[in-house]
Formats: sequence, C-alpha cells, structure tokens
Amino acid sequence: MAVCVAVIAKENYPLYIRSVPTENELKFHYMVHTSLDVVDEKISAMGKALVDQRELYLGLLYPTEDYKKRYGYVTNSKVKFVMVVDSSNTALRDNEIRSMFRKLHNSYTDVMCNPFYNPGDRIQSSRAFDSMVTSMMIQVC
Amino acid sequence: MADEALFLLLHNEMVSGVYKSAEQGEVENGRCITKLENMGFRVGQGLIERFTKDTARFKDELDIMKFICKDFWTTVFKKQIDNLRTNHQGIYVLQDNKFRLLTQMSAGKQYLEHASKYLAFTCGLIRGGLSNLGIKSIVTAEVSSMPACKFQVMIQKS
Amino acid sequence: TPLTPPLPSVERAPVVGAGDQNLFTSIYPTLSQQLPREPMEWRRSYGRAPKMIHLESNFVQFKEELLPKEGNKALLTFPFLHIYWTECCDTEVYKATVKDDLTKWQNVLKAHSSVDWLIVVVENDAKKKNKTNILPRTSIVDKIRNDFCNKQSDRCVVLNDPLKDSSRTQESWNAFLTKLRTLLLMSFTKNLGKFEDDMRTLREKRTEPGWSFCEYFMVQEELAFVFEMLQQFEDALVQYDELDALFSQYVVNFGAGDGANWLTFFCQPVKSWNGLTLRKPIDMEKRELIQRQEATLLDLRSYLFARQCTLLLFLQRPWEVAQRALELLHSCVQELKLLEVSVPPGALDCWVFLSCLEVLQRIEGCCDRAQIDSNIAHTVGLWSYATEKLKSLGYLCGLVSEKGPNSEDLNRTVDLLAGLGAERPETANTAQSPYKKLKEALSSVEAFEKHYLDLSHATIEMYTSIGRIRSAKFVGKDLAEFYMKKKSPQKAETYLQGALKNYLAEGWALPITHTRKQLAECQKHLGQIENYLQTSSLLASDHHLTEEERKYFCQEILNFASEQTDSPGHKVVLPMHSFAHLRDLRFTPSNAVVHVGGVLSVEITVCSQMPVPVHMDQIAISVHFSIEKNSYRKTAEWLTKHKTSNGIINFPMETSPFPASQNSLPALELYEMFERSPSDNSLNTTGIICKNVHMLLRRQESSTALDTPSGVALDDGAPVLKCCGVTLEPGANTITFRTQAKEPGTYTLRQLCASAGPVCFVLPHLYPLAQYDVYSQEPQLHVEPLADSLLAGIPQKVKFTVTTGHYTVKNGDSLQLSNVEAMLILCHAENKAVIYSNTREKASDASLRVQSSDKVTSISLPAAPAYHMIEFELEVLSLPSAPAAGGEGESTMLGMTEAQRKPKDTQKADHCMATTDHKVSIECPWSIYSTVIALTFSVPFRTTHAVLSAGTRKYIQVCVQNLSELDFRLSDSDLVDTGDSTDLQLLPLNTKSQQHICSRQSVFFVWELTWTREPPPSLRGRFSMEFRPASEERLSISLKPYTYEFQVENFFTLYTVKAEILPPAGTELCRTGSLCALEVSITRLSDLLEVDRDEALTESDEYFSTKLMYEVVDNSSNWAVCGKSSGVISMPVVAQATHRVHMEVMPLFAGYLPLPDVRLFKYLPHHSAHSSQLDADSWIENDSLSVDKHVDDQLDSSSIKSRGSVHSAASSEHKGLPMPRLQALPPGQVFNSSTGMQILVIPSKDDHVLEVSVT
Repeated sequence: MAVCVAVIAKENYPLYIRSVPTENELKFHYMVHTSLDVVDEKISAMGKALVDQRELYLGLLYPTEDYKKRYGYVTNSKVKFVMVVDSSNTALRDNEIRSMFRKLHNSYTDVMCNPFYNPGDRIQSSRAFDSMVTSMMIQVC
Repeated sequence: MADEALFLLLHNEMVSGVYKSAEQGEVENGRCITKLENMGFRVGQGLIERFTKDTARFKDELDIMKFICKDFWTTVFKKQIDNLRTNHQGIYVLQDNKFRLLTQMSAGKQYLEHASKYLAFTCGLIRGGLSNLGIKSIVTAEVSSMPACKFQVMIQKS
Repeated sequence: TPLTPPLPSVERAPVVGAGDQNLFTSIYPTLSQQLPREPMEWRRSYGRAPKMIHLESNFVQFKEELLPKEGNKALLTFPFLHIYWTECCDTEVYKATVKDDLTKWQNVLKAHSSVDWLIVVVENDAKKKNKTNILPRTSIVDKIRNDFCNKQSDRCVVLNDPLKDSSRTQESWNAFLTKLRTLLLMSFTKNLGKFEDDMRTLREKRTEPGWSFCEYFMVQEELAFVFEMLQQFEDALVQYDELDALFSQYVVNFGAGDGANWLTFFCQPVKSWNGLTLRKPIDMEKRELIQRQEATLLDLRSYLFARQCTLLLFLQRPWEVAQRALELLHSCVQELKLLEVSVPPGALDCWVFLSCLEVLQRIEGCCDRAQIDSNIAHTVGLWSYATEKLKSLGYLCGLVSEKGPNSEDLNRTVDLLAGLGAERPETANTAQSPYKKLKEALSSVEAFEKHYLDLSHATIEMYTSIGRIRSAKFVGKDLAEFYMKKKSPQKAETYLQGALKNYLAEGWALPITHTRKQLAECQKHLGQIENYLQTSSLLASDHHLTEEERKYFCQEILNFASEQTDSPGHKVVLPMHSFAHLRDLRFTPSNAVVHVGGVLSVEITVCSQMPVPVHMDQIAISVHFSIEKNSYRKTAEWLTKHKTSNGIINFPMETSPFPASQNSLPALELYEMFERSPSDNSLNTTGIICKNVHMLLRRQESSTALDTPSGVALDDGAPVLKCCGVTLEPGANTITFRTQAKEPGTYTLRQLCASAGPVCFVLPHLYPLAQYDVYSQEPQLHVEPLADSLLAGIPQKVKFTVTTGHYTVKNGDSLQLSNVEAMLILCHAENKAVIYSNTREKASDASLRVQSSDKVTSISLPAAPAYHMIEFELEVLSLPSAPAAGGEGESTMLGMTEAQRKPKDTQKADHCMATTDHKVSIECPWSIYSTVIALTFSVPFRTTHAVLSAGTRKYIQVCVQNLSELDFRLSDSDLVDTGDSTDLQLLPLNTKSQQHICSRQSVFFVWELTWTREPPPSLRGRFSMEFRPASEERLSISLKPYTYEFQVENFFTLYTVKAEILPPAGTELCRTGSLCALEVSITRLSDLLEVDRDEALTESDEYFSTKLMYEVVDNSSNWAVCGKSSGVISMPVVAQATHRVHMEVMPLFAGYLPLPDVRLFKYLPHHSAHSSQLDADSWIENDSLSVDKHVDDQLDSSSIKSRGSVHSAASSEHKGLPMPRLQALPPGQVFNSSTGMQILVIPSKDDHVLEVSVT
C-alpha cells in the first residue's frame, strides 16, 4: 500500500504531498524531494528511448533499506507523481503500481479540469482527489 | 470533446458575450482579444492534460507540435492541421485550410473584419496546451480568405 | 576486455582413459590441447537455443572407484566418456592380452551402466617395421569391431602415428577429434538432461517435510558449475538467480505466516558480520557451511551473491553487480527483520558497510578509471549507503559526540569488531581493504571523522558530478548535523545554506522550515546575530512550525532587542517581509495634496506575521523630498484636479513560496490586426498580433525574487513620519502618521521601518509609489460675469472670487475699484460673501460693505484664513450706447424689394451684438500693484431704419431687433429731428405706448414725415426708447433710455412709373401664351432741382432734359418679354412731363400674375463727342448682361461710387470704346405706382399649354 503520494509540478515544487503516518511527514518530504533526482535522470534517459518505451510510468526509482519503495510517473505535462509504497508484507507487481498511478493521473486530470483549480496552485481543496489518494493509501493492493 | 455543434455555438456565444460586455464597458474594448485568448489558455491547459493522458511521452518539441496538429486538432476541430511548417528555430506555422470556427461564417472576404475575434480563443487553446506541456510560446493568427487561416507559434526558449 | 578471462573456477569434466597407459600419457598433452580447438554445436532439450561450445576435458586414468555409484548427485566429477587405448597390431598379442583386458573393461562399464565409451587403435608404422608377419592393417580393428562393437562400429577408431607430423597424421587426428567431441557432447547432453530432470523432481518435493533447501542448493549449483565449465555463464547465472528467487520467496512467505521449518535454521542469531567476499571465485568455507547446513542467512546470501558476482563479471556486467549489490544489502536487512533474527546493534551496519566497500573495490578491480567515472550513477548508491552506515556506527559507538565514546560505547565497539573476526587472507595485504577501513574508523574519534568525511565528500562529489543535486544536498545535511554535533558550526553552515537554497529554489516548504531551524541553531552558535535574527523572524512567521516554536523564535528576537538597548549606535537591520507585510496605505486628504501648513495624515495597514503581540519602539516611514521641476505642477488647481485614485494604495503580497513561473511572465499584449490593400482600401488580411513579443521572448532567469535581500540599506537622516510605541498585534494593524506640510514640493514615501531596540525591520522600497504634494499659492482675484455675457443698459451680476492662498485676509482689508463713468457699480444695502475652504467646503457666510465715492468703490472684505476663497457678487450697470452703425440708413419704396432684402438682413442680425469694453483697475490688499479687469458688455438691440414712400408721401420706419436672450418691455419710443430746419414734422403712427419684445424678436415703429416747403431738407433722426427686462416688474434704479441716430436725404419723389398690361385686342382677358401689350408711362413730378444738376442733364434753348433708362425685369418669370426689355429715354426736366413705352409680353401661366417689375436709372453718357451718336439701345441690347449686373449691385445697396467703379471696370473689359454709366436714382426719388398690382390671366384652350400651367 502507498504510504506517501506526491504530485510535483513541472518546476519541481510540490503540488500535493500526503503521507501516512503523518508524524514523519518531513521524512517523506525529503524522501520525495531526493527521489526527484532519479526521476529527472529517467526522464532525460527516456527522451532518447523508442516510442514504445516512452511510457509515463518510470518504474522503481530506487530501493531502500526500509520496505519503502519509491516509484515514479511523469505526465506529458511534466508533472511528476512519486509514490512511496510499503512492500513489507506484500510484494507489489509493476502492473499494480502502474494502475495506481493511472488512477492518480486520472484524478489529477480531473483536478486540472476543475474550474475552481488554478493550474500551478497547490492542490488543497479538492475532496475528490483527497479521497482518491486516501483510497490508494488504505487499500492493500 | 463535446458534440462539435455544441462547441461551435458555445464558442460563438462566448465571443459575442465578451464583445457585448465590452460595449457595456465591463471590459475595456481593446482587451477583448486578450480576454478570449486567456479563456482559451485555461481551456487548453485542461484539454491537453486529458488528451495526453494515454499517449506515450513526447520525444521533443517537434513531436509535441505534431501532436497538436494531429490528435489535438482532430479532437477539437474534427480535422487535422493541413500543413505544419517550421524554421527549426522555434517558429511553427500551422495552416488550416478549412478552420472549423470560420467555415459556417463565410467563404471568402465577407465578415473578414470580424474573423480575428473567432481566432483568439484558439490561439489561447494552443498556447495553453503547449505551456502545459512545458513549452512557453506566443501564438498569433492570420486570415486572408475564410475559412482558411494560419496560426503562428513562437516558442520562448527559457 | 579489462575483465579477467574466465578462470576455471570449477575443474573440467573428466574423460577417463584406460588401456595402454604409456600410450595414453604420450598422447594426452596433444589431445587435451587439441580438443577445445574446434567448437561444436550443442543442441539442447526443452527447446533451448542451440549453442556453439568448446569442449574441454580433464583426462584421467581409469580407476574403478571413479565410476559413479547409485544415486550419484555429482555431475562435475561424473566420467562422461571412457576411452580404451591400444596400439596393438599383432593378432597374437591381441588374442593373448588385449582382448581379455578389453572385455574386463567393458564389463566394469556395463556394471556401472556407463555406455559412453570409445576404443582407440593407434597405428604406428615404426612398430610395424620390425614385425615379421604383417597382417592387413585393418585386421585388428576389424577384430575389435567384431568382438566388441556390435552394431556400433563407430565406437572403434584408428589414430595414425599421432606423434608424427604428416598430412596423414593430421587427417586421422581430425577424424578422431570430431568423433571424440561428438561422443562427449552426446554424453553431456544425455547426462545433463537426466540431471536436470532429477533436479526438477527434487524441487517439486520442496513442500514435503524433509526437504532441505541446502541440499537442493547444492544440486542446482552443480548444474551451474557445469554450465560455467562449458562457459555458459548466462545459464550458470540463471541457476543462481533461481535459487535466489526461491529463497526470497520463502522468506516473504515466512513473513506472511507459512514458514518452512528448514528456514528456521537460517534464523539463528547473527554472530559474524564480516561482509561479502568477492575476491575468490568460490568461497569454499561458506559453501561447506551451506553443504553442512550450518550457514546463516548472511552466509547464504553472501555466498550466493559472490557467485552471481563472479558470473556477472565473466559476462562483463560489473554495473549490474553494483545495482544487484544494493538490492541484496537492502533485502538482507529486510529479511533479517522479517525473520526476526537477533542481530547485535550495529552488526548489520558493519556488514553492510563492509559489503558496500567490498563490492566497490571488486568492481574497481576489474574496470579502469574512465569506465568507473562514466558509471557513477550505478555505484553512487553503494557509496551513500556505506556513508550512511558508517555514520550510524559512529553515532552508535559514541564517536560523534564531542567528548568521545564512554566505556559502554567502547564495549559495544569491541563486540562489533569481534564480530568481524580475523581479516581474510586474500585482503590481508591490501592496504585499503574494507576490513582495515572499518577497524580503523571505529578505532578513534579522529579516525572516524576522517573516514566519515572522506566518504561523505566522495559521495557528495559523485552525486553532484552526475547531477543528483538534491541527493548531494541531502548528504550534505547529514554532514552538517555531524559538524553541529562536533561543535563546528562554521563548517555546518555552508552545507545548510546550500541545502536551504535548493529547497527555496524548488519551493519545498517543510524541508525549508526544518533546514532553517538547523540553520538558526548553527547561526546562533556562530554568533551571527543578524542572520540568526533574520532566520528567527522567518521561522517565527512560519506556519509550518508549532505555535510554541514560533513563539520561541519571536521571543529570541524580542530578547535580543531588549538586551542590546545599552549600545545605541549599532543597529540590526532585517528585511520586513518575514516580520510583517504592508498591506495598504491611505492618505487624507484623499488626493494627497496639502497646502503649506496644512495637515496630512497617512494611515497604513500592516499585517504582523508574528505569533504574539510585538511592541515596537517606533514605526517610521522615511520620506524623500523633491522640488517639483514643473512649476505648474505645484499650482493649487492642478493638484486639486489630479487625483491619486481614492488615496488608497494597495501593496501586493510578496511572491508566493513556490516559484510559479507562468505568472512571472508579463502578460501578452494581443491586438487585432487589419491589413488593407494599398490600392483600394479593402481588407486584405486580418489576424491577431502580439505587441510585446520582444519582452516575452527574452530569456528570463527564474526564481530571482526568492533569495531574501541580504544587505538592506537603511537610509538614515532622511526626514521621517514616525509613530512611537506601537504594539503590533498578530494580523492586521492600522497605524496613522500625521504631518504638517512645510516646504512646497513632492514627497515620496521611501522606506517603512519598524524598530525595537537596535533591531529594525525595514521594507526598503515602497512600491507602488506613494507620494504626496505640498503647494503654496499666491493670493488671486477673479472677476467674471454670472451670465455668459453681460448686457449693456440693465443691471448685471458679476462674481468676485478672492483666493487667499498664503495671504490671510484681516478685518479692514478691502478691494478698491476705480470707477468708470460709462459703468457704475450698484451698491445695495447689504451684500453677502461666502467663504469656502480650499476643498470647496463652505466655511462661513459674511456680509461685506461696499461704499462708493465718485472716484472709487471700496469693498471691505471679511476676514478669511489662508488657503480659503471669498466669493461675492456685485451688480454693475453699463450705458446702453447705440451701435457704431451710423448715418446711412436704407430707405426703400414701399414694398419694393423688401422681400429680397429681408433674408440678408436677418442673417447678418443673428450674431454680432455690438459690444463695449470697460476696464476697471482694482487695488488688492496683498499687492502694491493694482489688478486690471476688463468687462465686456453687449448691446441687446440692433436697430435699422427705412424711408417708405406712397406717391409723394414719406414715412420713416425704425426696426428694433432684440438680439439678447432676455425679453424686454419697451416704452416711450420717440423719434425727433435733430436737424436745424423746423420745416419737418414727424407724427408717430405707433398706437401702443408699451411694447413687449421677446428674445430674437423685432419691433417696428413708423412715423409719417411731412414738410411745408419743397424740396424738404434732409432728416437727422434720433430714435430713443425706455426699456427694462420683462422679468423684473420694477427696478431699484432708473435706467438710461436706448437711443439710435440716423440721417436720410433726397427722399422726395421725382418720378412716378406706371405699368399696365392690356389683353390682346378683341379679348377682355389675357390668355396664357397669347401676346399682350405692356404700357409703361414715366412721369416727371417736379421742375428742375438741385439734384438734377449732373452730366445726364442736357440743355438746349432753355429746355432741359435728362437721360433715363428703363428696364423691365420679371424675376418671378411669369412673363416672357418680347423684343427689347429696356431702353434709354430722354426725359424733359419739367413737371408732369410723361414718357410712354410700349412693349409686348406673354404670360406663361394662368392666374393672377403680378406685373413685371419696371426699373428706372439715371443714364450718364460718357464725356465725348461721339458718345451721343452711338446707338445706346443696340448697345444696351448686347450689354444687357452687364446692366443686369449693375442692377444687382444696386440692389445690394452698396455705394454709388463703388457701383461706378465696378461698371467702368466691367466696361473697360468689354470693349475699348468709352462707356456710359448708369446711376440709381436716390431712394425715394422714384415711385412705382403699379407695384403689387396683379392681372388675371386665363389658361388658353390649348391643352398642352394647360398642362404646362398645371405643372
């Protein structure tokens, strides 16, 4: 299950970060921020890749000692999704992660198309988005 | 994209709406174009987010422009751009010989003086789309005989 | 390749040689060397792709114990092929020994059911030589084939002179080797296949209770070995990966609950943690441990990985090693947690640390620098992992605290080192071995620091080199923490600053806050007061912190402020934005304009970001003063006109914490574009263009506003508006500054500065610009009429405005007006004056006294303060003097040409009221010079006169036209002859004594003019009338009457003209289209008079005659004049002399038609002899045009003289010969008695004419 879900703007500032448990929120912020390095690397590497390899899902960013694996995803609008997944009791397949990202992307798109959202602002007041993220965090994939 | 007829009619109403409000002095008259363009910008941002949701990642700028001319245009205007030209220095010219928003208005020079009103929104649409794909640009337009028109995209290198 | 060539980590598959040992040994070297020469294609089971492989073999002596026992698992040691060697060429010998030996050998093989064998017969010519009885070469071979190889004759081969070097030898060798390879490969395939099958079945059993992972491990590894032996490293690697996966799966399942009991064995507590060993191809001790089922999880993992590593290196994939290593280390740590294996604290850290270094060193061992540098991305993970681990070890063993490790720490260290055991022999003599590093690092505080720093720096460097800035910064922050622990903040600061900058640039709020907190502590230690206070203020206003923390940092500032009061000189200047935000600023008066000495107040709203109320010693706005260049800018009216909005200036919130790039761009300026074709102005192209492309296309560097202005200059000494002792509550506060304006000029608000003790928060620039203006003004007097124009003759109101400016009007100050006789100032009992403030608010009323002496009128002003206005009105009266329009009036005959004149007159009349100016000089109390004002009065009336005639009787008509907007009541109209003669009488025919005349109306007055003696003298008339505005019933003062003077001469009648039209003979009525007779009779009324004396007069024997010219003109074109329309007649100058003219005219229309007009002129011949000769009529004929012209001239009533000139001009143009002149008779001299007469014309029978008449 996801323990942290982050949406990061083109310009690399966080549009949305949520993590459980909330107490070490800071740790997750650092974690997500550093993982942007790898995201960038992968994106630039992908640029050269062939079309069929240029999928939005970036795969595992890097493993960590604790069970928290970070996965990356980048929309065509250069918005990055980073998801930290706790794999202690379940080994998630790539496809499961992929589908989680798809869900995230879909509801991010909805946010973008929401008249009350101004592109580039932090995503703060979208209940729909929140609940979707919550679902990703509680559900054991 | 909604039913195109609906889109066309809605667009027309939007244009006249903006210009009416200008007459009532709510918008200062010169800004109408800008106002429409800004509307388009926001719409473009949203649209592109949707349209690119399931596409492969773009290789480069040209790749993106092609997308705009093909997929994006088709979804919005039910046809592709007829001709895309570029100087490879960040200037692109998109030529549509039968631009959807002009076809029902006139064939030739009638109403030519009003044509630009009906291009502003689309200019914004393009600019918004591109900017959301991380390309800052300036989009201008030109009509000499309706319903054909040209959009010029100037990329801002930054 | 830099990779070490595949050193055989496993011995080769054995080929067992039996039979003639000497022979075998002699051939063996060649054989083992020749065998691998040629590759063989290896077809494999399970649809695996065929491969070309080089067979290598290990040839061994035949011993019975070599043969595999039942249930043999070993594959490596398995004898794949048995070869029997013999060079027997003698049948006898064969029969005697060889055959039996072969049989025995065969039986043994059969017994062990090994079917892969070969018999080699070596033929040797040399041997043959000394043989007596030579059998055919083949015989022995044949025999053997018969005896042993039933059906598989290919199991016996011949090898010719193997040790010779001849073509024959070569051939036989090749044949032999090929055979050998084929057989070997067959055997391989068969046995491998079998082995694999066994292995699978064994794996299927893994759920059964007795199953042991270690056993299975050994089996599959056997397979791996074989593949490796065959140099099929991929396949070999696959075997290990399968084992790896299998094991991991078990662990995961264990975590999930269902644990295999064999796994519990791996859960034994970790006792040794001496890292991976990758330098030996096979770590035999560990292998044996596994074999003996004594391996711990770490042992197994280490061994497994070591093998994988070896193979990967064979495959030249060192970077995969690095990557797998990292995963391995992580998963080991996880698995130990998962299996709840008890691990001494720090043990794992040691293990990981060692392993990381081991892997790195192993890779370095087989790659050159360039490769390593270009692949940092793969290795850097290990570096940072190692760093991390070493750090935690350091903290664990108390090597980071400044006072060094305590006893307990030391014990822990000892235990950890014990767990490492002795250094391995293979690394024993490498200086930088991981083992040595770790031992050393843990040995002392200094050593640790050195190693830790080395690692950290290396890691940071690598991260930076591959552009992983964020990671680098993150490691940097660890380093900073370390330095802080080591109490060397100066080192820590740079790293913290670096990280902070990065977070700010990318707008990561939480990291920013956190790092700032660390930075604050660091700066505090460093005693960087300003920076510390600045950071504190930032933190105090940071909403990501708890209320307590914010309060704490706020308190820090306040404490400093309160402590440092003793040293007044030195100030700590901090930027305002972190402390408070200036929201808006408003001026009163709202237009931000005050006169010198006036009071201005500035009210600002400041939002304090602090969590608690903060008391400020003072809040000040420094002001920049500038004299306005443009002096007009200072004038009161300009300033009061120009309004700075509603006096409120809003200041934008400072840039949002994240760099939103799109809104940092300037907005597009789009406009419609219309391109017209130059030829016809038709529209060619329309479109949309962007006017500020150049602005937008310019590259703009992002995130400039982010870094806080470090050096905020406090402009001291500038004049300030200040408020003392203000307490800023959290949130919005309003502060009001009041100031009294002194110097005139423009004042710009520069800096906002809130100070508490030595600490002052400064907003260096107020933007948008906030300015106020101070002006001083000269006193002024304005006099202007209330109405748009003043009318002469009646009382008119004039408004006086005194703008006091800087002058204060005292009691007794007065305005002295020097009188003009033509205009008098009417002073009433009391006049009111109103005093207004500068902003047009009514201040007070006052009465003002006006006294008038003959020369001067003095108006005593009420007292009024500076920068006020006194307004009052006075009535003035100007004499209604007649317009300059003098003597020459227009007199006409009754009715004649009136119609034509009217329009012209009225046109002229509409505008142009005659005006008169009056200059009044006024003495003002504030100035020695007197002000001169000009008042212009316009005469409301325009008067014209005319002489009307009826036969010989004369009338004077006066027309008064009211040009003004007012209505008037006229009375006592009177006309008198001011001439000397008493002979003329004027008797008025005006009935009304009172007349009402509305605006733009005309009134006519008529008098009959009578006289006694002929001829009457000229008349000098003076018309006068009383008038008053119709609106006022009664006026306080009596008004002067309106007068108009004029003169008329020669107004009495000399000739009468009578015209008459007679229907054609025989008819009593005229018909259209039929000729009628026009009879004109001209009669002279008097004898010779003075007026007649001119060139026209001719005298012949006491008898005078004058020349006249008549002309019939029909302007209404009712008539067609047939024949001559004009003619010259000679008129005797005698009373009652009459001259008749007959003409024919034709009426063009039916109805009552006015008669055509007959005009009469005096005809003055030119002075010359022949002038009389020339036929005037004929001349007139062809010059009638020019005549008409004169007529028109005359009608224009321009002077006779001019008419003459015009004519002469015209004539000289016409022809060279001298021309006669025409002269109108003076008005009133000719009376046309038939003017206005009409005659009935009836339509002719003729239809089409009728139609004409209808149309």
